[in-house]
Amino acid sequence: MPGQPASRLHSSLSARGKAAPSWAAIVLRPLLLALVALSLLAGIAGGLLRVGVSLPARLDADWLGRAALAHAALMTGGFLGTVIGIERAVAVRLRAAFLAPLASGLGGLCVLFGQTGPGAWLGVVAAVAFTGVNLVLLRRQRADHTWLLLLSALAWLVGNGLFATGWRSAEILPWWFAFLVMTIAAERLEMTRLMRRRPAAQGSLYAVLAALLLGAALSAASPVGGGVLYGVALVLLALWLGLFDIARRTLFAHGLSRYMALCLLGGYAWLAVAGAAWAAAALGLPVRDVALHALGLGFIISMIMGHAPVILPAIAHVKLQFGAFFYVPLAALHLSLIVRLGFGPADTSLRATGALWNAAAIALFAATVVGAALAWRFKYRNRGTPPTRKTS
Amino acid sequence: MASQSPFPYTGPAALRQPVTEALTRVVDPEIAMSIVDVGLIYGVTVSSEKLHVLLTMTSAACPVAEVVVEDIEAELEGVAPPGLPVEVELVWEPPWTPERMSAHARRFMGW
Repeated sequence: MPGQPASRLHSSLSARGKAAPSWAAIVLRPLLLALVALSLLAGIAGGLLRVGVSLPARLDADWLGRAALAHAALMTGGFLGTVIGIERAVAVRLRAAFLAPLASGLGGLCVLFGQTGPGAWLGVVAAVAFTGVNLVLLRRQRADHTWLLLLSALAWLVGNGLFATGWRSAEILPWWFAFLVMTIAAERLEMTRLMRRRPAAQGSLYAVLAALLLGAALSAASPVGGGVLYGVALVLLALWLGLFDIARRTLFAHGLSRYMALCLLGGYAWLAVAGAAWAAAALGLPVRDVALHALGLGFIISMIMGHAPVILPAIAHVKLQFGAFFYVPLAALHLSLIVRLGFGPADTSLRATGALWNAAAIALFAATVVGAALAWRFKYRNRGTPPTRKTS
Repeated sequence: MASQSPFPYTGPAALRQPVTEALTRVVDPEIAMSIVDVGLIYGVTVSSEKLHVLLTMTSAACPVAEVVVEDIEAELEGVAPPGLPVEVELVWEPPWTPERMSAHARRFMGW
């Protein structure tokens, strides 16, 4: 009968009053979050140095030069890889799953201390562990999106393997971005089940993602052909998401749902820009910064800004009080990207100014998150019974 | 027991409505919709030993399950008889399908 479980592939019980804080909650999560913050801050500082922003003299240390060289590794692996690893470890509810984010977070730390080789191999360890976690999830739920999540983990493994064995960034970056893009695509595909999906939707997504992976694979042997294919796949993915994502519906909801929808739709617009610029850069136009940062900041950081109010309670045990102020860093990010990516190709000083504002937008978002966490604590402390803090 | 709940309910009739309302207050933040409307509650059984909730999620890869479980517990605390333990059990079989969504939810999502 509908609604009655015939069998239970997996079950977990949560009973009021039985949970005691585990070692993971006390030690591991704060350590992981510190590693995430370190990679993010160093990655941003290194990125600013790369575009020629003068940082305070006191920051002009060896680590800053290393952070500039390893900007992509820090942002995609040390920061995003670790965040996604924590997210998946929380979902799978296995302590061993935290090995993946621990390895990627420590990998970022190694790179900053000049140990690029061990750091890169820790990235490989992270991706192997992360692939294992996704296999467990696939066994638990055989669905289209869990298959795609496994594929995204394998793309990360390929990228990290290339990084550890000394390939060039032009060959590595398509794989690192494929990992991030496919992770998002899989999660959005899962959400589209809530809507009536057109019959061609699923097949067309698979075709687009196959093109993306083929483009990544071809980028080493045929930079022009591979790059154009990769870029076209990104544009088509943006179209797919714009057509089929639930954000088109939830835009007409309210509060947090509407904010998330705006983050998503804005991100999809930058994804299309990134795809066009990726193809153009492969053909020789000077728009590589546009391709990389429309994707990394416009698409991926928009997704982070949208999902942080939902994900942070799960991975950091911090509840946020959503408010209209969340729109301010979002607007700052998008406006600063228009300056950087719209005017940057013609004017390097505007590119640097835009990059500095990008960093300021991220800092403003971090401050918003802190403020929202304090607002939540203040609100529920005054009421006496926060809904998710139980000690009895 | 005949049920007017949007999910199978077994237990004292007096608790059916408060339990349903408590679960309806737990919202999936991304879609601004109650977990009851999304069809994530597979059943509730209230016995003299415990208040037991069968819950599913649309994705096994979603880290928010833990928060949803905590929110359910917090809401049910307010309506469960004093001292009665609340248990939330997360299951993946049968898999969630869109047909489980309420008429309201389906209308909002354009079905």
